[in-house]
Amino acid sequence: MNGADLDLRRRTYAFMVDNGRAPQAEELGTREDVVVGWRRLHDAHALVLNPATDEIRMLNPLSAVPTAYRVHAAGRWWYANCAWDAFGVCAALHADGRIEASCPDCGEPIAVEVRDAKSDDESLLFHVLVPARHWWDDIVFT
Amino acid sequence: MNLFRSEEHLQRWLGGREPGGTTSVAKLSELAHAWWDDRFSPDWVPHTREQNQAILDSLGLSGSFWQLA
Repeated sequence: MNGADLDLRRRTYAFMVDNGRAPQAEELGTREDVVVGWRRLHDAHALVLNPATDEIRMLNPLSAVPTAYRVHAAGRWWYANCAWDAFGVCAALHADGRIEASCPDCGEPIAVEVRDAKSDDESLLFHVLVPARHWWDDIVFT
Repeated sequence: MNLFRSEEHLQRWLGGREPGGTTSVAKLSELAHAWWDDRFSPDWVPHTREQNQAILDSLGLSGSFWQLA
């Protein structure tokens, strides 16, 4: 990952944090140049593209598309890619927050307040199905 | 990577499949803050595999399941 790639990544993330949505390639420069850079960042696991459209799918821990994990932090609602990323949104924003999801088993709502990096509900359980060495085999499934 | 209401809910959801890795929410929050803290920094540089593995190890997430590629 060279300096230009890091700069494109920085501008992509800053757009998301500032606007609450992922940028279109044209909003950051010439579409062709931006998409080529995004593809390199995707290959380096620095962001995730939708391979069919070359649009942003994940700016981890944020999701660019609606998911089951919503987080209210820093004055805005965000989508996270999973439970780990939901806490990661608070961590990356350096903010307290509220996570809303549902239990995959029964569908009952789950709400967690995060204050000073700690959860207010210690009864919940976090489960990872895919072994770490395979997380990036299919990051959307993971 | 999901949150479950309890072990009973997790086991029912697994439906006989082998469980993966399980932690408390307290540990998940520690993990997330160690892993993602710098992600929006303008000075961010990629973590190395060794750095990320050290985060997992420091929280006791060791063993073959938690070994990164």
